[in-house]
Amino acid sequence: MWSVEQVEAVAPTPAALTAARPLVSLTRWGSVGADERAVWGVCRGSGAEPYDTMVDHVGVGYSCTCPSRRRPCKHALALLLLWADGQIAVAVPPPPVEAWISRRRAAAERASAADTGPGSDGTEPVASSESVAGESGADEPAETGDADRDRARDERVERMHAGLSELDRWLDDRMRTGLADPALGRYSTWDDLAARLVDAQAGSLANRIRRLAGLVGVSPDWHSDVLAELGLLHLLAQAGRRLGSLPAPLADAVATAVGWQVRQADVLAGVPDTDDWVVVARSDTREDRIEVRRHWLRGASSGRWALVLSFAAYRQSLDTSLTVGTALTADLHRYPGPALRALVGHRYGEPVQGARPPAGDLAGACDEIGALLVAEPWLDRVPFTATASVASSGSGFALTDDSGSLPILVEPRALASLLAVSAGEPVELSGEWTPHGVVPLTVHLDGRSIDIGPRADESFVGAA
Amino acid sequence: MTLADHWSRLVAVAMLGTDRRDPPEPPGVLADVVDDTVRESPSERMLAQVAATVAVRRAAVRPAASVAAVRGPAVDDRPPCAPDAVERWHHVTTSWPVLEDEWMLTVLVTGQRLAPEMVSEVLVRHRGDPIRRRRAELAAGPLAGWLVEHCPQLAPRGSRSSRADPTDEQLADLPALPIPPELEPLLHAPGADVGARLADAIAGGALVHAHRAVLVNLIARTRADGLDDVAASLGRVDAASPGYPMATVLADLATTRRRMLDELTA
Repeated sequence: MWSVEQVEAVAPTPAALTAARPLVSLTRWGSVGADERAVWGVCRGSGAEPYDTMVDHVGVGYSCTCPSRRRPCKHALALLLLWADGQIAVAVPPPPVEAWISRRRAAAERASAADTGPGSDGTEPVASSESVAGESGADEPAETGDADRDRARDERVERMHAGLSELDRWLDDRMRTGLADPALGRYSTWDDLAARLVDAQAGSLANRIRRLAGLVGVSPDWHSDVLAELGLLHLLAQAGRRLGSLPAPLADAVATAVGWQVRQADVLAGVPDTDDWVVVARSDTREDRIEVRRHWLRGASSGRWALVLSFAAYRQSLDTSLTVGTALTADLHRYPGPALRALVGHRYGEPVQGARPPAGDLAGACDEIGALLVAEPWLDRVPFTATASVASSGSGFALTDDSGSLPILVEPRALASLLAVSAGEPVELSGEWTPHGVVPLTVHLDGRSIDIGPRADESFVGAA
Repeated sequence: MTLADHWSRLVAVAMLGTDRRDPPEPPGVLADVVDDTVRESPSERMLAQVAATVAVRRAAVRPAASVAAVRGPAVDDRPPCAPDAVERWHHVTTSWPVLEDEWMLTVLVTGQRLAPEMVSEVLVRHRGDPIRRRRAELAAGPLAGWLVEHCPQLAPRGSRSSRADPTDEQLADLPALPIPPELEPLLHAPGADVGARLADAIAGGALVHAHRAVLVNLIARTRADGLDDVAASLGRVDAASPGYPMATVLADLATTRRRMLDELTA
């Protein structure tokens, strides 16, 4: 079964996903079913006739009787989202679906006979996701594919540029009218902008805007926090419009930060970063209606950090294949640029227990954090490991050692665990630096690590 | 002027807006950075300064001055329970809570203490029941009170005066569980006899799902030295029998309890 992330990855535009959302309800569908090859259903749309929609989720192709020229259309996306959410039961495919799948199988066999090379490396998931993100289906005429993709890409770049220009104008208005403007207290001020950024293919910036809305008025220093974030948005808006004149790694990093989506298949096709990867920390956070799990890994040889993300919508499962305190020898494939984010490729053998990253003092940790922020000043979270004690500091707590102290930003449950495990003594710990304080996630003891990071609500995700 | 001072001035201007107040002059190297850009309006110059200042401040993240670490609790010489036992406690509390009292009492009886990583979770779990709370505090040792001082959300519910101190007997005894008189002899019977009797009755339909609760109670209190035999007998119930699912579940309980006790007494 696909994940929501996979469905989002095949959407031709974020707007198509937005259009699909109202259809993600079984009340809009009839005769739905799924088997090991296809998902199908009849969507009652705005037209007089319902639309017959079919998706080949193995060979990846879409068929819909709606008039849209985009593939997958919103009906196919909605059908996939319903399926990904487990709302579509297994059924026997009706004759039209069977016939369509048969034609696709025959076409695939013909193509395979004509091409003896690719796809025989046994990497089924990779091959599958390549076709997921890249093709609209074997029913599409191949010769029009490249031209369509080029045109779609050009349109996308144009929309993104327009969106970034609009963002900068909006930021300029904020500077003119000031942060005391009552409009900032209204959620619609932010949400309208976020929606326009989604339409402009700048989804990551839209997420930042939504998070930023949550900072208004929540602390005595909110003006400073909001201003800092507005500054970073300006930085990204400016850089995003000058991608062509930036050094390639920086351009890649900016494009990713703005929201330019990269196909997983392209990432996995990159040169692997092979190492003994220590799973240093884990953290779950809810972003909008998606639970995001971050696993921080550190190469035992290279010392490089990597971030592996997994996502779960309601009742879906998060990645449980990485365990804090273990090390695994594996290929990591990094996203473009100086990205922390990576995908785990081939794993060599079983994870080894009792692994821990090297830990220095807090000043050294700040040096490492600063180095990562020099490369990407817009990072919200940066990993670190240090040996430090817990201190009571004003109304909160801090990590402290001889080199200094850093305020702790932590939920009460995790703070209690940290205090209990450390009991007034210095401990090796890993966590995330954020602009508002550090979040301890793991305490490393002899032979084992205690995972104290925030954990997803088990009533929301299927398996946490 | 430090960067922090400059940032404060930027925040002050940002509050009012550049329609009312011009942005401050950028200091030092920052002036060179923002001079590179062609900015006509005050708001554009302000944005450039804010972006550059934030980037520099972030890259220059440094720790503040050291502060005194919290003083730890009194030393507890008892060994902490093993990581396997901690994991078992999590399993027991989610799958077989009927075993939790025995888990905690075994920790106390064997002279162990709670592993530190589980103390806050145990205290949160037992904020209401005075007997379980007291057992948890005894098992956690000085760490419990120390932790509550720093994290008031871990304190027991209700005022101190409204909480009656449990007696030593209450603390030492496992709570009685409802077990029908006809099953009571099995509490002290050898495991092979208990297992055979239960397996026969389940396979024959004499014990059905409606009896599940009392059977759980029975296995939670039956002799510990016979748990392997109980699990083995229940595991031999015919898979085609209607009672097979319940037999499987009860076998899991017996196995879980046996492993729990092994881990705590190893």
